[in-house]
Amino acid sequence: MILVQVIVGGLLLGAVYALFSSGLTLIWGMMNFINFAHGEFVMIGMYLAYLVAVAFHGGPLAFSLAAAAGLFVLGAALYFGLIRAVMRGPMLAQILSTFGLALLLRYAAFWIFSPNVVTLPHSYLSGMINLHGILIRESQLVVGAAAAALTIGMHLLLTRTAIGSQLLAVAEDRNAAMLMGIRPDRMQALAWGLSAASAGIAGALMAISFPFSPEVGGTFALIAFVVVTLGGFGSVPGALLAGLMVGLIQALSAYYFGPIYKDIIVYGLFVALLWFRPQGLLGKA
Amino acid sequence: MRRGTVALAAALLLYPWLVSGTGSSAFLQDMGANVLLAALGAAAWNIVGGYAGQISVGHAMFFGAGAYLPLLFFHHWQLPPILGVPAGIAVSLVIAVLIGFPTLRLLGHYFSMATIAVAELLRIIVSNWDLAGAAIGVQGPAISRGWWDLIFRSAVPYYYIFLAVLALLLFVTWQMQRSRIGYYLRSIRSGERAARSLGVPVRRYKLYALMLSATFTSLAGSLYALKTGFIDPESGLGILVSVQLVITAALGGAGTLFGPLLGAVILVPLQTATNTWFGGGGTGLTYIIYGGIIVLIARFEPGGLLELWHRHISSRFNKRAEARDAA
Amino acid sequence: MNHTTTRTLRTLAAALLSSALCIPAQAADPVKIGVVLPLSGNAAGAGTAARAAIELGAEIVNNAHPELKGLPLAETAGLPNLGGAKIQLEIADHQGNPSVGQSQTLRLITQDKVAAMLGAYQSNVSFTATAVSEKYGIPFVVGDSVAANITGRGYKWVFRVTPVAGDFANNYMLFLADMKKAGRKVDNIAIVNENTDYGTSVADTVQKAAKSHGFNVVAQTPYSANSSDVSAQVLQLKEKKPDAVIFISYTADAILYMKTMKDLDFIPAMIIGDDSGFSDPSFIPAVADIAQGVMNRSAWDIGKPGSATYLINEMYKKKTGRDLDDTSGRDMQAFFVLADAINRAGSTDPAKIQKALQQTDLKRSALMMGYRGVKFDETGQNTEAATYLIQLTGKEYKAVWPAQSATAPIRWPMTGWKK
Repeated sequence: MILVQVIVGGLLLGAVYALFSSGLTLIWGMMNFINFAHGEFVMIGMYLAYLVAVAFHGGPLAFSLAAAAGLFVLGAALYFGLIRAVMRGPMLAQILSTFGLALLLRYAAFWIFSPNVVTLPHSYLSGMINLHGILIRESQLVVGAAAAALTIGMHLLLTRTAIGSQLLAVAEDRNAAMLMGIRPDRMQALAWGLSAASAGIAGALMAISFPFSPEVGGTFALIAFVVVTLGGFGSVPGALLAGLMVGLIQALSAYYFGPIYKDIIVYGLFVALLWFRPQGLLGKA
Repeated sequence: MRRGTVALAAALLLYPWLVSGTGSSAFLQDMGANVLLAALGAAAWNIVGGYAGQISVGHAMFFGAGAYLPLLFFHHWQLPPILGVPAGIAVSLVIAVLIGFPTLRLLGHYFSMATIAVAELLRIIVSNWDLAGAAIGVQGPAISRGWWDLIFRSAVPYYYIFLAVLALLLFVTWQMQRSRIGYYLRSIRSGERAARSLGVPVRRYKLYALMLSATFTSLAGSLYALKTGFIDPESGLGILVSVQLVITAALGGAGTLFGPLLGAVILVPLQTATNTWFGGGGTGLTYIIYGGIIVLIARFEPGGLLELWHRHISSRFNKRAEARDAA
Repeated sequence: MNHTTTRTLRTLAAALLSSALCIPAQAADPVKIGVVLPLSGNAAGAGTAARAAIELGAEIVNNAHPELKGLPLAETAGLPNLGGAKIQLEIADHQGNPSVGQSQTLRLITQDKVAAMLGAYQSNVSFTATAVSEKYGIPFVVGDSVAANITGRGYKWVFRVTPVAGDFANNYMLFLADMKKAGRKVDNIAIVNENTDYGTSVADTVQKAAKSHGFNVVAQTPYSANSSDVSAQVLQLKEKKPDAVIFISYTADAILYMKTMKDLDFIPAMIIGDDSGFSDPSFIPAVADIAQGVMNRSAWDIGKPGSATYLINEMYKKKTGRDLDDTSGRDMQAFFVLADAINRAGSTDPAKIQKALQQTDLKRSALMMGYRGVKFDETGQNTEAATYLIQLTGKEYKAVWPAQSATAPIRWPMTGWKK
């Protein structure tokens, strides 16, 4: 019974990993760009949720949407102000710029909100669901389900809509897309907006049950790197699968071997997989 | 170029003496040693990250091995830490070969991610490994037992040791740059497929570069540990250690001989000064400024600051030289 | 290069560098004390709280506070034996980095010419920062780092006011043994610790103490403090059915554990938190209604309205908006001990301050923290340091053990979220 509970918990957390990683994989796949500040986007989503909850007494729906909207604007603005120029430079400039950006965002939050740990002012969705002895938090279930749905939504947006095909066209061949009347700058800004928004909404959802501080982003960035590489750069379904897997492996190894092994096993499997299948689970070779 | 190098060498040799008249000589000398150490690490990374274009974000694994071994030699057997330096290099070379074989097949970001993962894996393992001091870390000799412990009150001896090792590394890099290896690495950086078709043994030379880079990164780690007298998983193997090496090299100019040194000369005093001015305030302003400057450099000078130098200053020199020649 | 050029060069370099890096020196009159704390990075929350506490301490010493009776140097303004000299704090951020801790300590000692040092929160930075102090012969008073071997390395200039891990590990066991004697079932205990230096070193000590007191440790679970989910650990713990669980945790993880335990309906007879996260001002507002009866260690007690400690807490609240916590209180106490020693030394000569520190003999009544006193042994460790167990009742902790300092009865078992 407990095992089932561990598995369900792991998968639900994995869905949240998938959500913020899908944002990272989008720009990674589209623009071949590593964003070291992605974890900070998650962190800002948490603080936006906090602000909305404190100032406007907004509930989970309100603050998640606010976080998504806020981060979308931030992502698009960053594209025009910084990323577009950096992309023309060498790959190292990407690391340089987004690492500097990560520090800047983290310590801006530090300055504004202080380094103290905060929790949202109310508890939302605090009920428990008892499924034949399997205890699941309402918040966990709602957050996990919403994250999975949003990740799938992102995939559908990319594959089934006109905007999505324009995005992919720009990713395939910027010049050809331009000849077809697509404005690549707009599309890439849109991708950055979507990427940041997915991180922001994931952060807002996680803020419901996790205490957080400005330092929280680093952990998520590392998880996202693993998930994206496992899933294959640019593959949203890959991110979903890999996110669920990482969540599950973490939960199972924490349960069987103890919590310190969960990262050892995740990284170990990750390195092993890179040996055998460097293009990731669902990535193109 | 020649004259510039001589001037640079003179400035570096004289620095401890130049600052000795100030009210903060000890601190400035210490900072000078830290600059050289950062330059050493970045220049070591530069061999594989800059010249060969394989962007490792996991060089902390070599730095950490180099830092841990000397202090473990002391911790377990009370030996002078310096005896552990070759052991650190040996361990780093083993890691480089073990890691290099599989990961150097990977291209671009995959290689970067693989190196991050391996370094994190090592950090977590060491954090939980009692023989390596676990999360608590390992201390060097608390009180000097003799000169061989290399514990000095002043930073000046460290400064010159670091300078000597840095000079050696720059010499090796310079030689490499002019030799066949350098040519091979450059061709690998500009395109592996093309390099292979030209008959360059790509994987072998990537591995050579990684091994050379690992050797000197490990040395940098050892020197850090000798000077600091303490190492723990975060300061030896943390991701920030790796990122710092990358940033220092990239900021100055990756794939150039003096880029890493320039990066260190700018970055370390910048870090120290912002921390000295704003750190005590406890508002995080240190990192806002530091992060902001990094972003600005990446935005406006993505190729590193050495390019800026070449464009503005050395071109002016050249013009003057041309004018002189014409006259 | 002739002589004049050399001198010009040197002056120029000196002027450039010192204008770039130095804070202008001030008149020699005030006594300078250097403080190194983590003001950025992971431990910045604790660091800034400790910084505010030390600043408040300086404010209390520098100005006349007749209302704080019994506290040395509070009633007068400045240090009487130094002609009323004020204390000036030179605060630096070590970023939680041992190497930065070292260079900032070096800066405070050689450039700002501080008479003594205080710090450094994380044990790893205390290791390296005290080594610099030792080389330069400047007293370093450690306020709150608990790793055993900060003292006892043969250093002559390092003094530690706080109790060390061994002291409170022993206290936990004595408390549990007391409970057992009183007829409660306490056989199996579990230890849950975050896995950086703090959690690891304390957990090892607690484990040893438990064995020597004959308790059965059914689980020792190290975890990473930045875990985003601890359900698996809680479920595993639930299966082991420990009678008491000892947590060595930082803030976010302590809160997460309490919430997860409630969600998964696991409540042992007693939870003992080891200070840190359980003392963080964020802890009580976040989980007070689900963690009733949780115990914690502390040497800090706000005390009755009107008492010196109560007034100090009011002043601290006015300054920061939060209650003073145990960790910051221990740093503030370390500052008072140092100020008292400088005053007795009657001089800013480091050797005299060192001597005065060695001769320190403060009684319980002269302290703001609940130590038995302050008296250093030859390694520099305070032999009279003590700690108490407090229990969460409503929205505050009350002292419950040992009996002579208790202000409320022990409630066993804890009730958590149940009424």
